[in-house]
Amino acid sequence: MTTILVVEDEPEIRRFLRSTLGAEGYRVVEAPNARRGSVDAGTHKPDLAIVDLALPDYDGRELIRDIRKWSSMPIVVLSARHQERTKIEALDAGADDYITKPFGVGELLARVRAALRHAARSPAGQALVLGSAKVDLEKRRAWRDGAEVHLTPIEFRLLAFLAKHLGMVVTHRQLLAEVWGPPYVEQTHYLRIYMKQLRDKLEADALRPRHFLTESGVGYRLVADEEP
Amino acid sequence: MRWTGYAWAAGATAACTAAGVAMHGRFDLVNIAMVYLLAVVIVALRYSRGPAVVTSVLSIAAFDYLFVPPQGTFTVEDVQYLLTFGIMLAVGLIISGLTDSVRARARAQAKLEAAAETERLRSTLLASISHDLRTPLAVMCGASSSLAERGERLSAEERQALARSVYEQAREMSEQVAKLLQMTRLESGAIELQRDWDSLAEIAGAVLERLGDRLAGHRLILELPEDLPLVRVDAALIDQALANLLENAARHTPSGTLVRLRAKREAAELVVSIEDYGPGLPEGDAERIFAKFEHGAAEGAGGGVGLGLAICRAIVRLHGGRVWAEQLPGGGSAFRFTLPLEEPPSVPAEPALA
Repeated sequence: MTTILVVEDEPEIRRFLRSTLGAEGYRVVEAPNARRGSVDAGTHKPDLAIVDLALPDYDGRELIRDIRKWSSMPIVVLSARHQERTKIEALDAGADDYITKPFGVGELLARVRAALRHAARSPAGQALVLGSAKVDLEKRRAWRDGAEVHLTPIEFRLLAFLAKHLGMVVTHRQLLAEVWGPPYVEQTHYLRIYMKQLRDKLEADALRPRHFLTESGVGYRLVADEEP
Repeated sequence: MRWTGYAWAAGATAACTAAGVAMHGRFDLVNIAMVYLLAVVIVALRYSRGPAVVTSVLSIAAFDYLFVPPQGTFTVEDVQYLLTFGIMLAVGLIISGLTDSVRARARAQAKLEAAAETERLRSTLLASISHDLRTPLAVMCGASSSLAERGERLSAEERQALARSVYEQAREMSEQVAKLLQMTRLESGAIELQRDWDSLAEIAGAVLERLGDRLAGHRLILELPEDLPLVRVDAALIDQALANLLENAARHTPSGTLVRLRAKREAAELVVSIEDYGPGLPEGDAERIFAKFEHGAAEGAGGGVGLGLAICRAIVRLHGGRVWAEQLPGGGSAFRFTLPLEEPPSVPAEPALA
């Protein structure tokens, strides 16, 4: 049975998460604060953690760093609206995705499923299907409408890192550090140029991308066709 | 400000004294007294009572000591000069008193106007909240209590419909509350721009993806040229500004009509426009629709608290841009904003592949 740890101090939100996730067949472990969450993460070995960022005892971001020291379980954070900075810090601390409060059940379950799938996926994996485009990450080749598309080494590194976090959000900083190297984490204009190139090559309509999604002010998310 | 009045008092007296010395011998003493009186009047008009009295006293002392016989003493031989002194002091007092009361009245008037403006905003805010937030609250209260207390007597479809309306109303309300909070944050100056080099086309793509079905009823045309320059902006905020303008266009125009999002470079600015083919702008001042809590004329319930455009304006201004609305010649309206362009840093070319 898939176990989900919910670290959230508001009892009403815990109740709603418990019944919703429970009805989907997940086992739910609840923790009302970060200290308890840290303990439960160790003892229950959950498959996924949902962490509220504003916890009464210490910051949710610290809890994420704690968990990341010993586990790669997917972590989805609950954050308030208009707090991009906090989201980015949580993602950089090791969270995989976020949900902005208030949220509906559809959004919640979609994020949870995507995060669980992300954790279960084998690292190299099979071919990525992005609409009419296809990418073979192992052979480093891409096609669109059956014709091979040439990707530059940087475009490919960018695509590979996004694919490694398929369905999850990757921050600008993480992408820049991975593809260009740590000295380049502030050079967001690199990303704009290369993301545009990737979209031009692989999206049906680069202005209305369906796979290379922008999270304004935060980062990017690659969504493949296996997502519901 | 406080001490400049006294500096003026001393300066004016000194200047009159210099003039008096030059005039002495060629003019009657009365005329010299008039020059001093002029100084008293000027200081009394510009500053408050204190400097006016000081000017009067200094003038009297200087006039008495230097010009009134016997010169070089404060003794007064001719008693009529005491009248001159009295008049100088009285003029200083009367004029400064007048000036003070005019000023006090202007201050009171300004305060009253500011209070009236605050009061007007407060009452529109209250009216907005009571209408736009209380209506959904009433729906939520009624529908959810019906589900909680009478749920078993309702058919599955009715339960479903009630639950859905609670969800929709709550969603709408949280949008409005978020806008209220955002407006407060923007106005209090609590927002610090997180500027990065960003692509307007990318931000627009994210907005369109998120708004999804809210724009689904309209035909959307994107005119974002390939070579649009990058802008240095707070993407999360520009995202909100764009979203508010697009939602605004969708809300005020009949479904099925065109909404055009275009951007182009004009000199050192990027001009972003959202054009629609709806009924056009309301009669009157096009600037007014950007004010807080301002609703479009045709807007009924559910139109929100009227903060979308005000938030948009605050965001664009924070970025050093302008925002305005125009009536389009063939009917419809255009909302445009500008973002100042800077020279973006270069991106090193990727070495060509072998």
